[in-house]
Amino acid sequence: MTHEPLLQDINPCFPGLDENLIFFYAGYFSQNIINAIGDSVRLRIGQSDASGSVRRKIFSTFIEMAQNIVHYSSDSLTPPEQTTLEMRAGSVLVTHVDNAFLILCANPVSQAFAEQLTPQLEPLRAMSSDQIKDAYRKALRSETSESSKGAGLGLLTIAKDSSAPIEYGFNPMGNGMLMFTLKATI
Amino acid sequence: MNKLYLAPSSNTPEVDFDFTMHRLTLRGESYPESAAAFYGDILSQTAEFLSTLSNEDVQVIVQLNYFNSSSTKMLFSFFDRLNQAAEAGNRIMLDWHHDVDDETILEFGLEVAEDFPAIEFHAHALES
Repeated sequence: MTHEPLLQDINPCFPGLDENLIFFYAGYFSQNIINAIGDSVRLRIGQSDASGSVRRKIFSTFIEMAQNIVHYSSDSLTPPEQTTLEMRAGSVLVTHVDNAFLILCANPVSQAFAEQLTPQLEPLRAMSSDQIKDAYRKALRSETSESSKGAGLGLLTIAKDSSAPIEYGFNPMGNGMLMFTLKATI
Repeated sequence: MNKLYLAPSSNTPEVDFDFTMHRLTLRGESYPESAAAFYGDILSQTAEFLSTLSNEDVQVIVQLNYFNSSSTKMLFSFFDRLNQAAEAGNRIMLDWHHDVDDETILEFGLEVAEDFPAIEFHAHALES
């Protein structure tokens, strides 16, 4: 028996159906996909009335979040030990609500990884913007930790550009993994 | 070792390091999947070049519109090496170009100027 899906079923996040939506992507992320969808994010925010500074912060936050998915999502198409040309699953959403741009990302992580992330994220919520800048300046000058595939600066870069404290959560997915979500406000 | 040239890609800058002319230029955007992999060879060739210098002038031109967090860290290491060459008696001139309203890139340039005072730092604001 065939079932004719409704448009909403296919495109729950089609930009034309939601005036606040700037960009949404869910699926596998690789560096090549980031290059391509980064162009689309830039064009979409270029069509908004955001200042150059706000546009750059949105793009930077998008890149940091998307590269975190490529490096750290537990849902990996490529072997977990592979460190280049990685492809892993997650989603990124950019919306424009009440004069602010919200950028959210989500990807599955293991319980153990969540326990590593929480002590990095929780202090960022309590810090003032000056304290975040100081922590960023210190991290820039320190040795990169072994667990990082980047510079250990990514979350600080996101927090530094966010005008409100970052928000995050871990929700059980039922398969033993947790869905990690992170939100920045610009 | 006369020249290191890498054409720009969507996520890596144009690298035009003319070691004979003592002119090192980075231009474009930098957000490769692995900044450590991309900059590893650039940093080692630069270090090798700098080690051959004694009381010489080097011009460094950086015009990057965007760099991600891991590239930021690699650039900081790059300037650290240039600063060591300056402390060893060479004259290192850094032309730091940034968009006029891009405080993030200007701020990073000022961090570099503060931490690496032996480098002659010149900021240039570009009208966007």
